[in-house]
Amino acid sequence: MGYLGQQLVNGLTLGGIYALIALGYSLVYGVLQILNFAHGDVYMVGAFIGYFVEIALGGPSHSKVPVPVMIFIMFAVSMIGTGLLGIVIERFAYRPLRKSSRIAPLISALGVSILLQNAALLIFSANVRSYDTSSFIPSTAGFSLGSITIDSVRLAVLILAMLLMFALSKWVNKTQVGRAMRAIAVDRDAAVMMGIDIDRVIRWTFFVGAALAGAAGVMNGLLLRGVSNGMGFVPGLKGFTAAVIGGIGSIPGAMAGGLLLGVVESLTQGYLSTNFSDFYTFILLIAVMLLRPNGLFGKKAIVKA
Amino acid sequence: MSEDTSKLGIGTDEWVAQHEKRLQRRAGLPGVIDLLNQRVSNRVRYSVLALVAIFFGLFVHNLYLLRIASNLGVFLMMTLGINIVMGFAGLLDLGFVAFYGFGAYAYALTSSSQLNQHWPTYLSVPAIVIVTAFLGYLVSLPSRRLFGDYLAIVTLFFGQIFIQLVLSSDSITFPGHTDSTDITGGSNGIPGLDPFRLFGRAFKSTTDYYWLLVVVLTLLLIAIVRIDRTRVGRAWRTIREDTLASQSMGIKVNNLKTLAFVVGAAIAGLAGAIFAGIQDAVFINGFDIPLLTLIYAAVILGGSGSIPGSIIGAFVMSVLPEILRVQNYSEFLFLAVLLVTIAVIGKNLKKFAINIGALVVIGYPVKALFYLSHLTTTPTKVWAIAPVSKVLQYWLVLPANRIVWGNMAFIALIALVAYYSIAHEAIKPWLLPFIAYIAIFLWEDRLVADASTTRQLIIGAMLVVMMIVRPQGFLGKARVEVL
Amino acid sequence: MLELKKVSMQFDALKSLTELDLTVNKGEIVSVIGPNGAGKTTLFNVVTGIYTPTSGEVLLNGKSIAGQDPADVNRLGIARTFQNVRLFLNMSVIENVMSATYARTKSNIFSSALGLPSSRREERAVREKAEELLNFFGSRLTGYRWDQPAYSLSYANRRRLEIARALATNPKVLLLDEPAAGMNPKETQEITDVIGRLRAEKELTILVIEHDMHVVEGISDRVIALDHGVKIAEGDFDSVATHPDVVDAYLGKGSADRK
Repeated sequence: MGYLGQQLVNGLTLGGIYALIALGYSLVYGVLQILNFAHGDVYMVGAFIGYFVEIALGGPSHSKVPVPVMIFIMFAVSMIGTGLLGIVIERFAYRPLRKSSRIAPLISALGVSILLQNAALLIFSANVRSYDTSSFIPSTAGFSLGSITIDSVRLAVLILAMLLMFALSKWVNKTQVGRAMRAIAVDRDAAVMMGIDIDRVIRWTFFVGAALAGAAGVMNGLLLRGVSNGMGFVPGLKGFTAAVIGGIGSIPGAMAGGLLLGVVESLTQGYLSTNFSDFYTFILLIAVMLLRPNGLFGKKAIVKA
Repeated sequence: MSEDTSKLGIGTDEWVAQHEKRLQRRAGLPGVIDLLNQRVSNRVRYSVLALVAIFFGLFVHNLYLLRIASNLGVFLMMTLGINIVMGFAGLLDLGFVAFYGFGAYAYALTSSSQLNQHWPTYLSVPAIVIVTAFLGYLVSLPSRRLFGDYLAIVTLFFGQIFIQLVLSSDSITFPGHTDSTDITGGSNGIPGLDPFRLFGRAFKSTTDYYWLLVVVLTLLLIAIVRIDRTRVGRAWRTIREDTLASQSMGIKVNNLKTLAFVVGAAIAGLAGAIFAGIQDAVFINGFDIPLLTLIYAAVILGGSGSIPGSIIGAFVMSVLPEILRVQNYSEFLFLAVLLVTIAVIGKNLKKFAINIGALVVIGYPVKALFYLSHLTTTPTKVWAIAPVSKVLQYWLVLPANRIVWGNMAFIALIALVAYYSIAHEAIKPWLLPFIAYIAIFLWEDRLVADASTTRQLIIGAMLVVMMIVRPQGFLGKARVEVL
Repeated sequence: MLELKKVSMQFDALKSLTELDLTVNKGEIVSVIGPNGAGKTTLFNVVTGIYTPTSGEVLLNGKSIAGQDPADVNRLGIARTFQNVRLFLNMSVIENVMSATYARTKSNIFSSALGLPSSRREERAVREKAEELLNFFGSRLTGYRWDQPAYSLSYANRRRLEIARALATNPKVLLLDEPAAGMNPKETQEITDVIGRLRAEKELTILVIEHDMHVVEGISDRVIALDHGVKIAEGDFDSVATHPDVVDAYLGKGSADRK
């Protein structure tokens, strides 16, 4: 039971990260019906920004500010930075293609992804960086729940992920921009006729989606994983998987899909084999797309009638 | 346009009225090119290509060049395959490289000591093609009902699954056995493959494979051109145009999609097997996303759906990396492309001269600034190696801290290019020389030394720019899209 | 020849067709009229298999075709044009027509790639058939137009091409969705003639959706009026045109009384 519980906790934390990435996909797909291939690389940029903020504030060991403040600043700067990056990508790689064929934005997204990965390679070189979290947060800090240990980093990440998701649903449902975004997702032309400024709302959507991915990147870094220029590819794929499993375009779906995926991955790694866990994830996607193409919560048809 | 409308009679439509205008030559160089283009028929073009290929094989003995040519041949097969799947049928298959990898590994497993199978080539290669085609069939099944973007992702996943499988299959324990078998060699790959053996002759040298590729490609091109012009090719194109209308005209869309997948997979499988023969070994990391992007870039650059476009695109994408590897050539190439771009944007000789003049003028103040602020520079002996850089050394300044300055230049370049794309028309000419300067600086500073990253950056940028500026590629026809 | 028995079509909350009975006999030209939203195009979509009816039967010569794949429905002998003209815009005019012969031809990739004589013969026959069908429209779609891309055609020509393309599938029943929409009086007259010729020269049974009453009057053996998915009148043109329910549907409730 202890082992299972441990895997579940790990899975939920991982799932939180995937959920945040998945949300970015769903948000963008909802308004523009395009799959933002570059999203995973935005996540990567977020991780890098967090790393450099950490170094700038004195590095893992000689932090100039208290640890919680440092972590807060890392998140804040990273989220704003990636949010802006998202806006830039939308402006230059997607907006000119709004009237083009369906494949054009996809290819453009592929191009942006390649650009980001290699730009990072050029500027940061191929070295794998590490947040070195254990330097400022002892790995023994945490608490136990029965036979399950949750270290404080993991707990913080989990709570933060939940908070962000909660904040997002409030944004989508209660703010004017969020409502406008949903309107555009349902019927873009009607939204235009209702006087909604499409460009502005789409910009906000990209900002928010990218910011969430940036937060996910910092979280990943904090969980003692390495930061490198290629780190966004697989999580990007998985984030997309989660979004589709939950129903692309659906916000609760992306959250549910992300958490589910995280738990499944954790369990397969814990009980089946570490080698093949990605394999099972991908198989899961194929299965979902065949059996329930609209995903768990999805309303948007991806399948022809 | 206004002169034409006066000639319009009632009932004559625009297209006919513009008939005369279209017959006129475009002014200057483009006009001459157009004229040559029209006069030369496709048959002549392909024949010339065949002759060039034959002469190359007969008179070139440099093994390095033959190796490049053979790789180009394999790459061209793949490009043609993608052209069928995406260009003809309009399906975005992002797992295509997996079929290629499968073909290569299948050859490795049937012609090496890995599983101790040494099949004769005339048996293994056709078997590989058939099995890969069947694999294509399997992959197409779940994809039948999916819209374009979803098909892309599902196929991408299949590609990743393949890679995972190969990586993890170096220690598989079969039920009933106690020890594990190494099937695919995991990340180490499978070395030491048997060479092809056809017509009683073992293909020991690259030249043999080169000729094989010439023959295979000739047959393949003939087949593809014929298919494109007849029933199935037309049906594929209707699917790309309007799937619903296509169905309503009796065309079995799903079957044809599957057919496109199968044909593409078969071609990729054959390419993979030949590639394995040439390389004498297989490694999984050659069958991943970087190769995929290269192939797609080739098809898109040349023009999706255009067979000559695929040929040109394959040539550019396959030969380009080789050129980038050698500093002499890479600098030359870069400068040539830069000058051509300036010329095209400038549109006439006077503007071109002004741009170049401005470019030159920018360089000297920058150099002066550097000396004045006592920033150290890289000694000329280190960086002025190739002919081009020898010329540039008097004009360009290269800081000692190349990495930092290079990064700044990179970011500045991206920012300026992005700003350029949305800038007011009046400002654009002012920006151009600065962009050119930074580009040259960046090239000499960082990119010329780092060929693979540079290539990827160029491909990434090219994909984005192509889609915005000229989505039909260089040789494709401008398409009308209905959303 | 074509029968709909109590066909209903429901989309979530919207009932697009309610228990519709409709019969078209061999060699007839039947027009379907009704205000926008009456369910006319839905009717076509149900017949051609794009939608599966929620209930009811669709019979072609007595055989049920409800819910079949549109490609199969076409192969059984029903061809159609679309309300908003769905041509293969980037293909040439003649290719549009040639492509529609797919179901009636059999060259596969192997026979085409090898350039077998049977394949070449079939290709020539396909080309001849397409030329013949395009010539049906006389000078409108003549020789020099054949290799032009379809997007270069004027609106009226696009509608004609769509008909030619539909004819290439060798149908027994032709469904025309607003063939005269957007045409000027001269073109409208031409279309009316064309539809008459289609029945006479090609021996087709034709079901037409139309708004232009001149066309309806000129071609129809029978007229059926729909409103909100329900048949409200059926008969020859005069009786339907003056039917009080039809007048109400087009001009608003109570209009029939005001006449």
